[in-house]
Amino acid sequence: MQVRTYIRPASLADALHTLATVEEPIAIIAGGTDVLVYAREDDRYANSALIDIYGLAGELGQIREERDDLIIGALATHAAIAKSPLVLRYAPILADACRSIAAPQVRNHATIAGNIANASPAADSLGALAVLRAKVGVQSPEGQRELAMDQIIARPYRNNLGPRDLITYIRIPKLEGYQHMFYKLGRRRAQSISRMTLAALLKRDSQGVVEDFRITVGATFPRPMVFPDVDAMLIGIRPAQADLEAVAKALSNKIPEIAGIRASTAYKQPVCEKLCLRILNNLLGGDQQ
Amino acid sequence: MSQVQLQFRLNGKDYSIQADPTQRMVDLLRENLHLTGTKVGCGVGECGACTVVLNGEAVTSCLVLAGQMQGADILTVEGLSETQIGSILQQCFVDGDAVQCGFCTPGFLMSAYALLLHNPHPTREEIKVAVSGNLCRCTGYVPILNAIEAAGLRLAAEGK
Ligand SMILES: Cc1cc2nc3c(=O)[nH]c(=O)nc-3n(C[C@@H](O)[C@@H](O)[C@H](O)COP(=O)(O)OP(=O)(O)OC[C@H]3O[C@@H](n4cnc5c(N)ncnc54)[C@H](O)[C@@H]3O)c2cc1C
Ligand code: FES
Ligand code: FES
Repeated sequence: MQVRTYIRPASLADALHTLATVEEPIAIIAGGTDVLVYAREDDRYANSALIDIYGLAGELGQIREERDDLIIGALATHAAIAKSPLVLRYAPILADACRSIAAPQVRNHATIAGNIANASPAADSLGALAVLRAKVGVQSPEGQRELAMDQIIARPYRNNLGPRDLITYIRIPKLEGYQHMFYKLGRRRAQSISRMTLAALLKRDSQGVVEDFRITVGATFPRPMVFPDVDAMLIGIRPAQADLEAVAKALSNKIPEIAGIRASTAYKQPVCEKLCLRILNNLLGGDQQ
Repeated sequence: MSQVQLQFRLNGKDYSIQADPTQRMVDLLRENLHLTGTKVGCGVGECGACTVVLNGEAVTSCLVLAGQMQGADILTVEGLSETQIGSILQQCFVDGDAVQCGFCTPGFLMSAYALLLHNPHPTREEIKVAVSGNLCRCTGYVPILNAIEAAGLRLAAEGK
């Protein structure tokens, strides 16, 4: 690919120093599964300093626990997340989402932070991270901060990161006793037709009363969304079929409310309603895990 | 881009070469090292013809930056016959008529190699997942899946 300079920092500290001092426009490359596709399309990186952080997997690729949270290093690959015992135990919906991405060869090299930073509305990790209430840890020469999923992305293919910002980790509150469902409609090879993902988490007490419920739709809105008003519809009750239907209707009504009426709305809104109802019935019919 | 010194292990041999780190790994293999067994089909990660094994995992070398070969251990189709899994796979592909035009074959072999490396006795379903990123326009896939399954059985018979 065409770039001005190529820099491969030897450590995180070295990377932060590079980010603080480089004069050219900065382009970060991790796995490169988006960057190398873009580099084929045009010469957008021709004047950039390409900063290759993939070699920092020792520092930035670990998946570990920190008290009540799971910390996923920015360079953890989709394949590593999908099979991580910690993720499977405390955030299995993220393992399902990462397993649904592309094929093994891409999952083995592509990173979670790249999936987030690329900000594709069709990025599959985003919906799961949104219902998990994940926070994205960002480091810059000015310091360290954490952004929620609905703050990190501005609009399709535009994140809210500054040019010298580096995602270093994803923080996910550990969940136990939840049921989960990640559903992906359509495949990337059929990208031209609309697709959609649904991600849902449900926790009930021994009487079947819902203690917590979170649902979102992905590949549909300009950025990852959470819907506390929809979630609240099931919390504190033992849901009957009419309650599930009301949730499916409320969730699918978000599509014209937020994304506006578009050509795809006529397709997406009823599909969303049907899928949502199916998922809720599965969750409530299924055993608690 | 200016050249840098890249050091890596490839097919069991140590290399130290001057190369442009911002080219694609597949171009370094094919053009700098003349290892043309690795094919380029789509160039965007969709077809799997360029699959190689990087540090034990199958990756599409059209989407890996050459600079990321620094310090890595790499296996391409040229090194396959030196390995037990690889030579069994190659024999099973030939015996099972899993090769027609052959363009996709190196990629399938490398995906299958990575699978058997971690999971010597895969189920049919695990085989399908492992080659889900490889396209073949000739065989209709069934002979390929059969060949990989047969290789798993032969590995088991050889006590692996
Ligand atoms: C064939 C194919 C199929 C795919 N299918 C799917 C799919 O089904 N679902 C899906 O969600 N995605 C899919 N993808 C895209 C997915 O592979 C990428 O989004 C990937 O996760 C990006 O990670 P990366 O490490 O390769 O990022 P890169 O390509 O290296 O980077 C992507 C972007 O993120 C920035 N970036 C990377 N790391 C950081 C960081 N730590 N801090 C700040 N910025 C950073 C880069 O500057 C760049 O803008 C597919 C890709 C291919 C090629
Ligand atoms: S050439 Fe690399 S996947 Fe098609
Ligand atoms: S044998 Fe021709 S593409 Fe597979």
